[in-house]
Amino acid sequence: MVELRKLSIDYPGGSSPGWTGRLGRLERRVPAVADVSAVFASGAISAIVGPSGCGKSSLVGVMAGLLAPSSGEALIDGEPVRGVRPRTAVIFQDYGLLPWLTVEGNAELPLAVRGAGRAERRRRVLPILRELGLSSFGGFYPSRLSGGMKQRVAIARALASEPDLLLMDEPFSSLDALTREAAQEALLEVRRSRPMTIVVVTHSIEEAAYLAEAVFVMGGRNPGSVEARFDVPENSAGYRFAPGAGDFRSAPRYLELCGAIRSALRGSGPTDDSAAEARE
Amino acid sequence: MTAGSGKSALAARKAASVAIAVAAIAALWSAAAAALGKPFLPGPSATLAAFGRLAADGSLGRHAAASAGRVLWALAASFFPAAALGLAAGRSRRVDAVVAPVVYVLHPLPKVAFLPIIMLVFGLGEASKIILVALIVFSQILVAARDAARRIPRPLVDSVRSLGASRLGLALRVVVPSALPDLLTSLRVSLGTAVAVLFLAETFATETGLGYLIVDAWARVAYAEMYAGIVALSLLGLGFFVAVDLAERLLCPWRDLEG
Repeated sequence: MVELRKLSIDYPGGSSPGWTGRLGRLERRVPAVADVSAVFASGAISAIVGPSGCGKSSLVGVMAGLLAPSSGEALIDGEPVRGVRPRTAVIFQDYGLLPWLTVEGNAELPLAVRGAGRAERRRRVLPILRELGLSSFGGFYPSRLSGGMKQRVAIARALASEPDLLLMDEPFSSLDALTREAAQEALLEVRRSRPMTIVVVTHSIEEAAYLAEAVFVMGGRNPGSVEARFDVPENSAGYRFAPGAGDFRSAPRYLELCGAIRSALRGSGPTDDSAAEARE
Repeated sequence: MTAGSGKSALAARKAASVAIAVAAIAALWSAAAAALGKPFLPGPSATLAAFGRLAADGSLGRHAAASAGRVLWALAASFFPAAALGLAAGRSRRVDAVVAPVVYVLHPLPKVAFLPIIMLVFGLGEASKIILVALIVFSQILVAARDAARRIPRPLVDSVRSLGASRLGLALRVVVPSALPDLLTSLRVSLGTAVAVLFLAETFATETGLGYLIVDAWARVAYAEMYAGIVALSLLGLGFFVAVDLAERLLCPWRDLEG
């Protein structure tokens, strides 16, 4: 279980004119999110949906242990997050694949960082590559891969660390519509065989509604906060993987849900950048 | 067509265009020599003959080895410290606070003009020549490394940090490979400058090196030999250039594919 308790995050903002040295430095802090509380259930997929600039990526940074909150805390299985945790995997927006490593090298990276030997790395990574249909691309560099394949390499890399928590920051946003659906299916397939907790940050209402058992709607800007929560039992593993379960995307309830999330987003203030800029 | 045959066709085209360029230079050169008809501009054939003579009696090889040795020593002394310091400065504000002033003072200096001072301090021997070349390479690599380290995309750093990499792990897995292509590019540029500066350094207080060979031939009015020395110095520069190319292909195989 991942719990955010009254979490606020801010970051050093704007360059102060004039001095940049240690002496006359005027440090202005810009709030990213304020007072966010949320619980992401174990073994479930949760989504955080919100417009750009609402601070949802900062939440991922804190949960991943890359960013320290200014107040409040994030807890994973009751333990406060202090720095990077070995069983948390993160997939970033543009996948964060290293261009100088092959598909195999990228997938093995978590194990390499922990000092695993070559034989051990291969033993653990090859089945994952096979599962994701990447076996015959092991020697390719990322620049040779399509967006969808890069995405799968990023998933493979995340799985290599045998995570119990997978954080995804806009994981599908640079894919075209069809590839995106295929990537979502791949994620669900992966989830099906592994009981891990997944938190997906997205700006896509449809994606959140299709993937998540719990959808958290964020709004506001500098700071953003959680404005609403929707529970979607249809997306739980019990329903989704039950025999004879249809595609949720064609159910009337799905459209209803998308509509409800959309109006929650609208209710939380301007949802496009231009309106937000004008307001500032 | 496979990627392999495409590559070899490309290599063949490259070789052909180099051959054409060499032939064109030789043709222009002999035309100019014939038109001018002066002893200080011998044609390519006379130069080639002198080149062959010098190569045969071993003196060309000796001078070229002395010059190449100086550049390599300078490189060995300057490349790694400059790269390490520059990368550290690009990634850490605290290191940069120390390094940035050095960069701004050292880089714009016309280091060749310091040759007399270097010679006064370090003597007339090998050390001065190597130090001069090393200074030039050092400041160029330092600047390139610092810039390259600053340009590393943040998501790459974050994604490797999220795997629990230490600072050293980050440096080795992200910072160095990410900056490597830029470092090699600036090495190529600074080696060109190094060869030019080496010529100047070798015109003083030495009896070895291609610079000495050229100036000595000039003094003896042995113009064909002088030109042979110039050709040898150019070839030395070309050799370094090609060596860096090969190093890049070997060390950065992913770059081949990025068009």
